[in-house]
Amino acid sequence: MSQGPDGADTHGFLGEEFLTWLWFRWEADGGEFTLPGGRVVGVALDDFLSFAAPSDDETEQTLRRGLPTRTAEARTALRQGRRLRKARLLVAEGSRQWTAVLDAPTLTLGSVKLPDDSEECESDLDRTTERSANWFALHEIVQALYGRFLRERLRSDYKQTAGTEQARWMAT
Amino acid sequence: MATIKKSGSFVAFHWDGAIADPHAQPFADAMAARRFRTIENAASEEVSIGWVTPADPTGDSFALEDLEGGAGTWLRFRMDKKTMPKKWLQIHRDAAEKARGKKLSARERRELKDDLMEKMLPRVLPSITLVDALLFHDKRTVLLFATSKAAREAFGKLFLESFGTPLERSNPLQAGLRAGLDDETRYALEHCEPVRWPNAQRGEAGVEDRRRTLVDRRAGDDQEATMEELA
Repeated sequence: MSQGPDGADTHGFLGEEFLTWLWFRWEADGGEFTLPGGRVVGVALDDFLSFAAPSDDETEQTLRRGLPTRTAEARTALRQGRRLRKARLLVAEGSRQWTAVLDAPTLTLGSVKLPDDSEECESDLDRTTERSANWFALHEIVQALYGRFLRERLRSDYKQTAGTEQARWMAT
Repeated sequence: MATIKKSGSFVAFHWDGAIADPHAQPFADAMAARRFRTIENAASEEVSIGWVTPADPTGDSFALEDLEGGAGTWLRFRMDKKTMPKKWLQIHRDAAEKARGKKLSARERRELKDDLMEKMLPRVLPSITLVDALLFHDKRTVLLFATSKAAREAFGKLFLESFGTPLERSNPLQAGLRAGLDDETRYALEHCEPVRWPNAQRGEAGVEDRRRTLVDRRAGDDQEATMEELA
């Protein structure tokens, strides 16, 4: 593998901002995104959140089970300006639904559960073909969402526009 | 035929340049050249890493149809590791020290270890790890179904040795550089700094009002410092 500075070290914060932005978009706009190619996907946060420690000396905060996004602890963390480091996502496209834990600094997807095999799958090859497509679809959806986040985040007027909106949301 | 898993974790990698077409024989030949070789009977502590197929975990055959993974190509590699159990070594060392009535020197410990390994390792079976990956040739993307550093490094090395091109692990920078951004946005990505979100608790009550007042006051002006100022 290629050597050199790891983008997870230099730009891991962008992954955390991306995950926090997904939460913001879910609460502000319902979490529905139209991606390139016209595909419409829905994203929501599920039952696991972990906030990044603001510095090496401070505590990472993890909330599990129930509806952690609704808890006072989660709102307090947002008000303190903390970013999400990990969260379990629900991703849906049409009748397909995935769950996965996104590790934001590396953009690694863990604990993924693919949609159920469709009834048309009659052989092992059918199942492998469908699952293979579902693995790649999840990867593509997350990449497309990340691309969309970047186009918003890297605009020169971000802080005056979407950034301000998100700051307000975090403070509520 | 086996079925690819429907749950788990993965790391995405990308490559630049060209590799052999996974539907053509040279691809299977490249895997066969770095096939898995057994260390079952090895008399030394070692690791063996190489390609196998989902249909044949021995590494003896590489039929193209065994790599069939629908939209992707189903790769599998095998890592066998033969190690002397540490507790076993400790028990023998304790016994030797008890018999002698004093601690062994560093040199004696090393000699004891070498002696034990020579006798015991041929009888130790290796631990076996099978790791899957899905390769999407057109997208120059491979999803590796393992996240450990050892598996990632082993896979990267094997891929390079087999197909002659290095893999780049996806991360927030790499994913951004592959997101089709224009030049200006790519530059902004490479030089991007974290947003310092406001710490609303510092201001006690009325923080939100204070933020809104500031935002409103600055509306239409240069708000570059807004969020930092609120922090």
